[in-house]
Amino acid sequence: MAFAWKAAGLTYNRYLAVAARVVRRSLKEEQRIGVERRGEMDLKFAKWQNGKQGDNKNLADANTSAMAEHAGQQTAQ
Amino acid sequence: MNSFRFARAALRARPTMMRQPLQRRGYAEAVSDKIKLTLALPHQSIYKSLDVVQVNIPAESGEMGVLANHVPSIEQLKPGLVEIIEESGGSKQFFLSGGFAIVQPNSQLSINAVEGFPLEEFSSEAVRSQIAEAQKIAGGSGSEQDIAEAKIELEVLESLQAALK
Repeated sequence: MAFAWKAAGLTYNRYLAVAARVVRRSLKEEQRIGVERRGEMDLKFAKWQNGKQGDNKNLADANTSAMAEHAGQQTAQ
Repeated sequence: MNSFRFARAALRARPTMMRQPLQRRGYAEAVSDKIKLTLALPHQSIYKSLDVVQVNIPAESGEMGVLANHVPSIEQLKPGLVEIIEESGGSKQFFLSGGFAIVQPNSQLSINAVEGFPLEEFSSEAVRSQIAEAQKIAGGSGSEQDIAEAKIELEVLESLQAALK
């Protein structure tokens, strides 16, 4: 099966997150309020090299740039 | 002459061979005609191994209905409507954002999804306004990833809009 989002470098995990986010946003107002926070993610990470901690980076930003880097690679396989 | 006698012996032998599997059939009647459904989200399980009659799922390979004694299989789900026909005869509809359905050999069905809500909890107005927004992004000049994400949103929203009608 060919998926258009794969060609743009998106992972299945990202696909599910986007689909879940839009489902939450489509709820009626009273249901939406408690539920929207489930989609929030604010993880940070740092790479350790030679015994020293590198810069703190936002995981979401790092993922976005990794996806842009991998765009077009899946279709070549 | 010899071969003729052999054929007659074979003819006589066959009826007893065919009778045997027929006698074994009684066993099948003891098997339940219900399927145990587990519908789980990361934060909640909507069904926990409950006997139901039939489940209709939107698999990536096409819509399918699952009854008891279904062939074991693993199906990727499209964002879409899952319909559950319960033992009492009533049916419930949930919209799932996409995940997997696993049909296990002993009449068990596990459905995993990220988000799932009863159909009546959705607002068609919110769907309509989001479609307009996603169409703008999909046709705009954003990054390749933004456009791909907007197209995923459109796929979900169009499926949701069709289910709400």
